[in-house]
Amino acid sequence: MQRIYVHPLPVRIWHWINAFGFVAMIVTGFQIRYIGLIDLMSFRTAVVVHEWIGFVLIGNFFIWLIFYLFTDKIRVYHPELNPMKHFRASFRQAMFYGYGIFKGDPNPHHVSVYEKFNSMQSMSYQVIMLLLVPLQFWTGVLLWDVQRFSGMIDVLGGVRVVDTAHVLIFIFFSGFIFMHIYLATLGHTRMAHIKSMITGYEEIEEEHGGGK
Amino acid sequence: MVSSRRKSTQSTAIRAKFRAYLIIAARLALVVLVLGATSLSARAADSALSQLDQQCLACHSAKGLEMKLANGDVLPLQVQGAVFSKSVHSKIGCAVCHANTSFENHPPVKTKIAGSREYSLEMNKVCESCHAPMFKLYEGSVHATLLREGNSWAPVCTDCHSPHAVMAKAAYETSTGAPCSKCHDPIFNAYAGSVHGQATLACSNCHRAHDVSPATTGNQLKSACLGCHQDAQASHQKWLPNAKRHFEAVSCAACHSPAAKRKVDLRLYDNVAQQSVAEKAGVPQFESRARLADAKGKGLDAMALHSLLREFNREGIDNKTTLRGRLEVSTGVEAHQLTRSTQAIRDCAKCHQQGAEPFQSVTVSIVGPDGRPVRYGAQPEVLNSIISVDSLGGFYAIGGTRIKLLDWLLALAVLGGIGAPLGHMTVRWLFKRYAKKISGKEDS
Repeated sequence: MQRIYVHPLPVRIWHWINAFGFVAMIVTGFQIRYIGLIDLMSFRTAVVVHEWIGFVLIGNFFIWLIFYLFTDKIRVYHPELNPMKHFRASFRQAMFYGYGIFKGDPNPHHVSVYEKFNSMQSMSYQVIMLLLVPLQFWTGVLLWDVQRFSGMIDVLGGVRVVDTAHVLIFIFFSGFIFMHIYLATLGHTRMAHIKSMITGYEEIEEEHGGGK
Repeated sequence: MVSSRRKSTQSTAIRAKFRAYLIIAARLALVVLVLGATSLSARAADSALSQLDQQCLACHSAKGLEMKLANGDVLPLQVQGAVFSKSVHSKIGCAVCHANTSFENHPPVKTKIAGSREYSLEMNKVCESCHAPMFKLYEGSVHATLLREGNSWAPVCTDCHSPHAVMAKAAYETSTGAPCSKCHDPIFNAYAGSVHGQATLACSNCHRAHDVSPATTGNQLKSACLGCHQDAQASHQKWLPNAKRHFEAVSCAACHSPAAKRKVDLRLYDNVAQQSVAEKAGVPQFESRARLADAKGKGLDAMALHSLLREFNREGIDNKTTLRGRLEVSTGVEAHQLTRSTQAIRDCAKCHQQGAEPFQSVTVSIVGPDGRPVRYGAQPEVLNSIISVDSLGGFYAIGGTRIKLLDWLLALAVLGGIGAPLGHMTVRWLFKRYAKKISGKEDS
């Protein structure tokens, strides 16, 4: 087994703050929207916790941004601009997850330092990190102090429009978090990818060329 | 010798008698003086009134003095002299206000008085000659507007300031001295039991005395609350998330009259001109348009509200009419039942919950030509429908007015997020078992 260092420390710190932070945001978000259906904490506590963790996550986003902007690791986020290449790779990956994996086929994607994401991951993470997460932060800050930002909120169509956008992204992340955790368990062992996000090292199976 | 002694005894007796008479006389004089003084002051009260006034009162103090008017009304003509002399107008006397009267043309038989109310309205014009600034304030009030609209019973000066018993300002500035209860009786009674009423604060403290404006349009009442309760914003910000937004969208009474019934009023607002949309006098479009949009007559539903809003936006490309929602109490009586802050509503769930009571009652309103709101009923579903994102973009209470469709999407996302991995895991497990079976068969 070869060990490759794919998750530098800033990335790992950022990831786990995000992980627990997003779970807390989803849980408090649920409590805020659905008083009457669940009663884990008071509305006010949920709002206060949601706001504090929200600001922590905004700061955390900048750890990610600064790390990737100022290192060469930004290459992992470079989009595949050739549509045919991208489509072929994505299709192959989808076929693996939808069929090949049941048969015991190997993962068509090979992790390397500058290509740690498979094409489906790469596309999803770009959309998430560059569009959905910033939008969620932006709408969240607007909702944090509606009166202060009333000018911008009015331009967008009103507080209800802003909240609907915030809730739609909340819906996406609520589904995503389960998928993300499950997909993380689809390494050569169940804990392989999770371990690598703690140690930084991904264990790569030897190529079929050498050995038995 | 004997004569001198008799003479001295006689003189002592005379002196004693003289002293006794002196004392009696002094006492009598005192009594006369006191009586005279009191009668003087009594006449001073009357004689604070000029001789001319006293001449008027010579007839007009008679009980039962009255006059029949053209429409059958009976105009009482008796004036209580003692009351008038205590009033602030006693200094100016009868002739200043009743300038059209003189002894020559009195009673003014040529003047035909149509009715007692018409007489009051006519006489009220006199007040302006001395009280011009106050009169101007009054002319801008909703009371004056109602009068101009043709309601002859709308209050004029003499309805609040009894014409012959006008008091100094201070007398009207306690809740017991306020004449407002004459017309606004139920509200006054509710107010009297409230924390402000018990502190005997007068109505004019919040509503102003002469330039009274409609209570539910404009911001003057909120300014009145904050005028005395200056630290209200700061103290709310300590515990209330989005406190400033609450101050915009929720009336003070909605939380501080805990027993009140709450409702939402959606007000037509011109986003370009940055002010409420007002109807022009003589062009009452709002109600007719609302009725047209409300096909079933049960109150505007989401589609009807949307089309009504588009009607108002059709008028010009420049104006952008939107709806600004405000949470308020249902009646004026309830709005005055303000309690101590310890009893105010602090439970967020009162509003931010599905099916919350304040969101079960909705009206749409426009500012009428007299400044008072003209309202039309809407169905509660307008606050929850997906169409509200377009028509009601500016009004939203987390949880309480949430769009139901999004709840279904969330359920779908969570079920999908859990279900897809479970399904995938199951298929993998089944395949493994199948593969084991196959390899088992192959081995054997």
